[in-house]
Amino acid sequence: MNKELEHSFVELLEKHQNIVHKVCRLYTNNYDAHNDLFQEITIQLWKAYPKFRGDAKFSTWMYRVGLNTAITLYRKSKRRIDTHTFNDFEFKIKAEDYDDTEEQQLKILYKAVQQLNDIEKALVFLYLEDKNYKEISETMGISEVNARVKMNRIKTKLKTILNP
Amino acid sequence: MDELELLKKDWQKKDKDFPKLTYNEIYKMILKKSSSIVKWIFIISILEFVFWVGIAFLLKYTGYADDMANVGSNTAFIIMSVISYIILAYFFYRFYMNYRTINTTDNATTLMENILRTRRTVKQYVGFNLIAMVVSVGILLPYFIKQDPESQTIIEQATADGELLKFYAGIIIVTLLMLAVVIGILLLFYWLIYGILLKRLNKNYRELKKLEV
Repeated sequence: MNKELEHSFVELLEKHQNIVHKVCRLYTNNYDAHNDLFQEITIQLWKAYPKFRGDAKFSTWMYRVGLNTAITLYRKSKRRIDTHTFNDFEFKIKAEDYDDTEEQQLKILYKAVQQLNDIEKALVFLYLEDKNYKEISETMGISEVNARVKMNRIKTKLKTILNP
Repeated sequence: MDELELLKKDWQKKDKDFPKLTYNEIYKMILKKSSSIVKWIFIISILEFVFWVGIAFLLKYTGYADDMANVGSNTAFIIMSVISYIILAYFFYRFYMNYRTINTTDNATTLMENILRTRRTVKQYVGFNLIAMVVSVGILLPYFIKQDPESQTIIEQATADGELLKFYAGIIIVTLLMLAVVIGILLLFYWLIYGILLKRLNKNYRELKKLEV
């Protein structure tokens, strides 16, 4: 791998690193595991980078590799059982931005999302990132109809958790 | 408001909450080694190939294979060796081709299927070796007994005592038990290794397939 390739890759990843952080935040529950997964996604992105064609958007391509690493390739590290969980820090909700009810709702919602399984998390993640059903279905390798059905089920699930 | 819409609104404001890694920190990361399951499957599969080829070589160099060749006909033994190498080459080729198709930029379902296919090829190879082991023991054992002077003495003794049936039954039971133990240990070993390694992948793959029903 030449230096130029390394440079362009690191620069692009530095710019778009939040996508990887978001995947890590969704699939891990402590700092060490977050860093560990970030590291693995970075390596996978780098390994795949020579095949990256400029015709696809770098960020779109990152979603695929990032999620694939999180749900398929990544081996949970032992460090994951660390006691330093994110808890309240994890999805800090600023009081000045929301009213009490909304703040509470969000707290419960984030907690509920954490409890979803890997595939459900992936769908929710893409949805939260404002991807349309076509993109979601292409990333996951399922039909668009099934992606919609599953998303609706997840919505119902979250609604039930929120309003028991 | 829809719960997910509420979440989405908040989620998109999260950017500032994440750590900001510097150019150098990211650069250091790309120099590190991956520890993905694909890498581990690759290493374990190569070890499996090495293990079975190693056994074949061990038999050859300890002279055991020569004994076997003497027992049967030389030509038959050569043909069997050639066939086994062709089968090994075939499995290795298939494994390599499967491995090459694993691409992290594929969609999640395809990626999982490609990894599972690689695993399946090695599983078939191991299965083939286990069956070959049982068959060769079944074919060669009677010849061995016939050729081995020590066994012959025991057989003569057993015939004189009228316990020939007991002798053969003993041999068969001991052989079957030994085969069962060896196969059992190997299968347990594979089950543990792949069970741990592929637990998450299998679970997620089942979940994706469930969506397609």
